[in-house]
Amino acid sequence: MFDGIVALGHSLGTFLDPLSIGLILLSSLAGVIIGALPGLTATMGVALMTTLTIKMPSNQALLVLICTYVGAIYGGSRSAILLNIPGTPASAAACLDGHALAKQGLAGRAMGIATSGSVLGTMIGIFFLALFTPILGGLALKFGAYEFFWLAVFGVVIAGSLTGGDPLKGWIAGLVGIFSACVGQEAIYAFDRFTFGSRDLAGGFNLVPALVGAFGFAELLIAVREKAVPVKVDPFDSVIPRIADVARHWRTILRSGLIGTFVGILPGVGEDVAAWSSYAAAKRASKEPEKFGKGSIEGLMAAETGDNACVPGAVIPVLTLGIPGSAPAAVLMAAMLIHGVRPGPMIMIEAPTFVYDVVAMMLFATLGILLYGLTLTQLLIKVLMVPKPVILPIIFVLCVVGSFAIASRLFDVWVMLGFGIIGFALRRLGYPVAPLVLGLVLGDLMEKSLRRGLVLSDGSLGPFLTRPISVVLWITILLVVLWKIPQFRRLFMRKAAVTS
Amino acid sequence: MATHSEHTLYSISPRTDLRTAFVWIAIGALIVFGSWRMDRLEHQGAALHSAPGLWPGIIGLLLALLGMVLAWRSIERARTTPWNAALPDDTVLVPAWRFRLATAMFFTYALLLVGHGLPFWVGTALFVTAFVAVFRRADRIANGEAPHPRKDLLLAVICGAVTAVVVSQVFEKLFYVRLP
Repeated sequence: MFDGIVALGHSLGTFLDPLSIGLILLSSLAGVIIGALPGLTATMGVALMTTLTIKMPSNQALLVLICTYVGAIYGGSRSAILLNIPGTPASAAACLDGHALAKQGLAGRAMGIATSGSVLGTMIGIFFLALFTPILGGLALKFGAYEFFWLAVFGVVIAGSLTGGDPLKGWIAGLVGIFSACVGQEAIYAFDRFTFGSRDLAGGFNLVPALVGAFGFAELLIAVREKAVPVKVDPFDSVIPRIADVARHWRTILRSGLIGTFVGILPGVGEDVAAWSSYAAAKRASKEPEKFGKGSIEGLMAAETGDNACVPGAVIPVLTLGIPGSAPAAVLMAAMLIHGVRPGPMIMIEAPTFVYDVVAMMLFATLGILLYGLTLTQLLIKVLMVPKPVILPIIFVLCVVGSFAIASRLFDVWVMLGFGIIGFALRRLGYPVAPLVLGLVLGDLMEKSLRRGLVLSDGSLGPFLTRPISVVLWITILLVVLWKIPQFRRLFMRKAAVTS
Repeated sequence: MATHSEHTLYSISPRTDLRTAFVWIAIGALIVFGSWRMDRLEHQGAALHSAPGLWPGIIGLLLALLGMVLAWRSIERARTTPWNAALPDDTVLVPAWRFRLATAMFFTYALLLVGHGLPFWVGTALFVTAFVAVFRRADRIANGEAPHPRKDLLLAVICGAVTAVVVSQVFEKLFYVRLP
């Protein structure tokens, strides 16, 4: 316990030099702006920043990425409140009550609530990040190839089930991602698969250009296709958070923080589900549920606390299991691998202080959003007013340069374009992209674990189905899949009704 | 996989879903075929369970299977609703030519203007200037605003020049990254 506090103190101290403080301020600002701009998401922001920071020392690069991630999830609430357009999918729930408050002339108060909810939500998530990561890291050491296989499958199945409205399409998207990870030389015999004689394809798809394409370029294409909404912001009151709003809703804050963190820990789910789950729970527990959707302070507080608590929560499985809790966390994990950090069960043994470095980065990112939450309103409104034709080509230039920067080869630019087109087409056809990303990130781990497990058991599937943790995992996966099949769900409900 | 009441929840029509289902079945079948034809490396002592084609074969099979489920669901939906029934999409779209032109400009920049001898900053300045000039003017026309060709061109040139210089300098001098 005390070792942990000392390590955290040391980690906090390492980021108190002028360069790190400058990076915190700049990257939090970049995150808030990316989050506030409709069409640019946290995943895209983190993916672009990964390419920008490729040559930086690992701790500074990850500091930039975490500040961008936290900033972007917070920034989305600004456009949700002021324009009724969620800056990121995570802030869609904030539109309901945030914009309703703005229409009543209380946009400043709504932004104050969003700031206090976001800051407190992130703090709750950070508390659990610091508390759970060492414990879960110890538990994860008991995991073998069999358990990791099921855990990776669990991540893709859950992402497919909960992101987007159609689980069947979510699972198909996940399979497309897993197949994309198969392209190139396989791990055991270095045998070329689906490379068609191309030397570039033999190396497989580089993760970052694929992610920049699936999120960055695909989102640009969507933004180009949709007509821009004229930006009109009415005068508003003070954005300074009110202590009374926080004190009155402490239960909502605590509940939403816990829900957000828990949703974050679930592999592949993400901030939007955290926000909606917290919002729904707050409505159920509220004494004034009829006010929800019409300018409820409680509703806005719940949504903003939930989605921001999810950020540290989503980092917990990254650090302990090497399995991302959300799409931006998947990019963050890819960045960690690029920078030579191996997230997973061995992290508490190989780099125990790194976990506390991440906690410290999150704390500084929280200070960043608090600072900009109190001061940045007018500048953000000006940014929101920049016409789309000016922003889009600049973002695309960054997508191209960023993809090229990873390995200095044009092939990665083509990969970015290809995944952009696939991501755009999938979205238009109603397929969520988050499972594709999870499949792409976890496909390699899934295959390695399956083949390693089969080699260890001499081709027997027994250990996959009988080891205690594996049993829990595959039964959970089976139940999740069955629960998403309406016929099965109806049958179960009917049986439950008859029994009761 | 859906009840009658759930049919209305779908944002994509049964016809489109059925078409994409066939695409998934075809892709899945191709992956299975490619995996089956893959060298099993028996001469290197590889057992069947460690053959390189095993995992992609499983994925291809699952993809084809889920494609079949999607096809079956689309046909089931079409029994109670029209083939083109889908939730109304309230997104306001720009005319198709704008989307096509923007996409063509993106591809021209990424495939032709960078990495083929033209200095990066020149290609970037040309792309950004052209994009801003064309779409600012298109926005004004679409919104019924008075045209300001000189003002828009000046803005476009400034955007192009600033982006080219800032991106080149920041990536090369600050982040030590090679440019295409």
